Amino acid sequence: MEMLTYKDTRNYAPIDVTKGMDLLTREIVMADTQAPEGYEIMPKCKFCKNFKETDTFIGTCEASMNEPRFIAYPDMTAVTCEMYETM
Amino acid sequence: MAKTLKAVLADAGIPMNFQAGGQAPDQLIDREIQREPHPRVQKLKHIFMGTLSSASNEFPYWYTREYMLHDNDVPVLRRAKSLKTAFAHSTPVIIPGELLTMRKAPYFRGSFPMPWLSEGFYMAKEDEFYQEALKRGSASVDEHSKFGQGGGNVPNSFGKVVSIAGKFGMRQEEIPALLKLARLWYGKSVDDLGNRYEKMVPGYGTKEKIMRNIVCMFDSGFTLPQGREVINYYYPLEYGFDGIIKIAREMKDKVAGRADGDGMVGMNRLYNYEAVIYVVEGIQSWIHNYAKEARRLESLEADAHQKTEFKEMAERLEWIAHNPPRTFIEAFQMIETVHIAVLNEDAISGMSPGRIGQVLYPYFEQDMEAGRITEDEVIELLELDRVFKTSIDCFASVGVVGGVLSGNTFNTVSIGGLDKEGKSAVNRLEYLILEAGANNAMPQSTLSLLYDEKLPEDFLLLAMEVIKTGAGYPAFMSNQIAQEFLKNHYGHEGMNVEDARAWAIGGCLETSACTWKPLHLNGKEYWIPGGAGQPTSVGVHFVSMPKILELTLFNGIDQKTGETVFAPHDKSLDTYEELFEQFKTYWKEAVDILALTNNIQHDIWRKNNMAVFNSLLKPDCLDKGHLINELGYRYNATFNVESAGTITLVNAMAALKKLVYDEKEVNLKEMKNALKDNFGFKTAQEINSFSLADQEKREDGDKKWDKLHFKTLQAPKYGNDDPYADNILLDWENFFCPDCKNYESLYGHPMYPCQISVSTHGAMGSATIASPDGRLAGTTFADASMSAYPGTDKNGPFALLNSAAIWDHAMSQNSQLNIKIHPTAIKGVEGAKKLLDLTRAYMRKGGFHIQYNVVDSKVLKDAQKHPENYRDLMVRVAGFTQYWVEIGKSVQDELIARTEYEGV
Repeated sequence: MEMLTYKDTRNYAPIDVTKGMDLLTREIVMADTQAPEGYEIMPKCKFCKNFKETDTFIGTCEASMNEPRFIAYPDMTAVTCEMYETM
Repeated sequence: MAKTLKAVLADAGIPMNFQAGGQAPDQLIDREIQREPHPRVQKLKHIFMGTLSSASNEFPYWYTREYMLHDNDVPVLRRAKSLKTAFAHSTPVIIPGELLTMRKAPYFRGSFPMPWLSEGFYMAKEDEFYQEALKRGSASVDEHSKFGQGGGNVPNSFGKVVSIAGKFGMRQEEIPALLKLARLWYGKSVDDLGNRYEKMVPGYGTKEKIMRNIVCMFDSGFTLPQGREVINYYYPLEYGFDGIIKIAREMKDKVAGRADGDGMVGMNRLYNYEAVIYVVEGIQSWIHNYAKEARRLESLEADAHQKTEFKEMAERLEWIAHNPPRTFIEAFQMIETVHIAVLNEDAISGMSPGRIGQVLYPYFEQDMEAGRITEDEVIELLELDRVFKTSIDCFASVGVVGGVLSGNTFNTVSIGGLDKEGKSAVNRLEYLILEAGANNAMPQSTLSLLYDEKLPEDFLLLAMEVIKTGAGYPAFMSNQIAQEFLKNHYGHEGMNVEDARAWAIGGCLETSACTWKPLHLNGKEYWIPGGAGQPTSVGVHFVSMPKILELTLFNGIDQKTGETVFAPHDKSLDTYEELFEQFKTYWKEAVDILALTNNIQHDIWRKNNMAVFNSLLKPDCLDKGHLINELGYRYNATFNVESAGTITLVNAMAALKKLVYDEKEVNLKEMKNALKDNFGFKTAQEINSFSLADQEKREDGDKKWDKLHFKTLQAPKYGNDDPYADNILLDWENFFCPDCKNYESLYGHPMYPCQISVSTHGAMGSATIASPDGRLAGTTFADASMSAYPGTDKNGPFALLNSAAIWDHAMSQNSQLNIKIHPTAIKGVEGAKKLLDLTRAYMRKGGFHIQYNVVDSKVLKDAQKHPENYRDLMVRVAGFTQYWVEIGKSVQDELIARTEYEGV
């Protein structure tokens, strides 16, 4: 299983663009460092079936109602997105 | 080595002293009162201190995605649907330990751009941002730690973070989306559309030149279209969100298809109520998402105490998503939620909570009586609120956030004042607000004390103790002056003495129109105050008086750029009276064109970007069915004209009057040559110092201007109870205040004067050449509107108060007087009493506002050299408190230079 960085897990509360809190240990951790094994994956566009990458850091949401399909970006959190589908 | 002005003056035997009333001790003196917050608060504050301002695309992404689906809908519904979607999709982030939650963006200190208002300032850097986004490597701890020295600002890109506007950090992964979203608004934003139509105003070319030459600081229509107002929490507290939806549904049935005699906008009520329902539903989803997150954290939590806190947080959120709050903590969570919701609706600075000591008192009183809460728990919540509010950022351009606001968001809380019947409104909760402000000194919420002779003495003395912490609050504002202003200005809209008593400060010190509403809790009725007026952040904002004097002296030509801003007057300016008249002519020309063009920007805003949520909160929108854009608010005459550099102008005019016109020691041509040549000195930018004393002589600068320069510096100065200078201030105010009524807002009401500087005295001073008072090119103006220029008030604080009170402050929305006092000058109980006496004396003389910076100037100098040691040092700037490390150098220099009183 691919290891996740902290910012891609649900056991991480972002404090700012560089760091956040590990919700299990309460430690302040850097967003881009590797999270311990077993941390829950954070729903994000890049993990969604409906995301289609078109260029670096950008793509489209194939589930959007817009024509053409609306943009999306891989790192966007999707915990509140009703169209999120795991791959 | 080049000589500084201070050295040049010393050589000539002229002392330059920035201390008055004594001599400060040699050693660094800290503030007398120092307290600590509760441990829980301390932990969160510690996190805040290491947090960077962080921007996210989430809210604008969902807003834009929804907006683009509804291009044929009625504008207010298109906007409401977009807001609903954006709120409903905001990711909840809860930090363990907090009791009050919900935030602007998914970061502890988060914000986001609103490209529907203005996308230009970051689109202009599109290529640069793209490159930054693509080339960024991995984050380095070393790089990151450097940013801590600048507080939360992200002035440069580093690691995987791209700096925007010199303040906000955005992850590189989000930059392409930021730019693509912005492009979708190109030509459609309030900025772009407003600009298309404002160009149709005759004389638009002058407006562009005014902006380019920093005669005016910013356009209010698309930068910060709302703010400097008092929010109103009444409807959610009284009815709950389900209750508001119920009201809107019932009203829809009553108004559908009916004009009811109003053929212009009567029919719009249907769409407005429908919009209210959409937005409230979005906010309910947002609250529910936070509740779900609290439940999730509860399920993960091993610690029993924390688990219970998550559970109770979830229960509170689930309750207030639908119902009126029942307890103090529920009510507090409700007002925090409402506050953030309003701030997410628009780019806003200065959305002030107002008199929350009155608003929350019913819950406090009943919880205390029932034993549901203790005073210590209340204080802890009030301390937490200070972390919550200080974490609020407003995303805007560098000129606005840095040059005007110094990063501040002005969530001012007002205390004191009178109740509906005219009695002192001070209650026990307001004492606790002061205690929490001392325990947890953070910039937000700054406190404003609405001073009235009826307020209890122990309350006022407690306020003095809080001032001694050096937090810069509470500021004192005169209740009587404010009421008089409100009755005069809003009388034609029905303002009476009762509503005038409900007032509070909106923004840093804007007197704001409010009203009373009856809140019911367990069968008991309480009348609570809340905002009932439109924003006062609107109108003509920050017109530089010293720059207009420069243009007057030089026949309409800006001496820094060489551009002709105003048509040449071609007058010889042979008399002081002719000079003053021409100054007023240019002033009026500037204000007129700025009023017209800003009206158009705001008109575009109200057509496409109107406030829905803020509107439904404000009386009488829900009753009338009209939002802000259709004059739904009770008080709509809120547009104003803001001046900047008042005292620098007064001092400059006094020097011209004395040296050129009365005593003819120099002719005007020679004075102008000296100003152009900066009296033989380098510019402030060249030496990167912005206070007068540090300015350096040019290497090629001979002594030809020295004598004249000394005379300008020694000419009469405001702040010494000297009628020669003070009468110039009087003349100015007697022209300026009534003149504002000659300009009409888009809502059809006359404007009024607003006299604060915020941080503009730094940026505007930077753009202005030397002035006839001896101030050198690029240095700051005197701060505020009633503060003396640094080092020129030599006759003690009471003389300064006399100078400031020479005019009728009730003619203006505000005036602003800042005084810097050394901590030893007000030490002990006697010191607190002296400070209260000084304050009371000013209020009795008719002054509107006074605030104190209790700090040793040597500490500020040390902090400038070693910012890493002063992350938590706070200073009072002009109407607001800010962390020293987060304000720009020019304002830092000016703060160091301000006259330091060693005794009062």
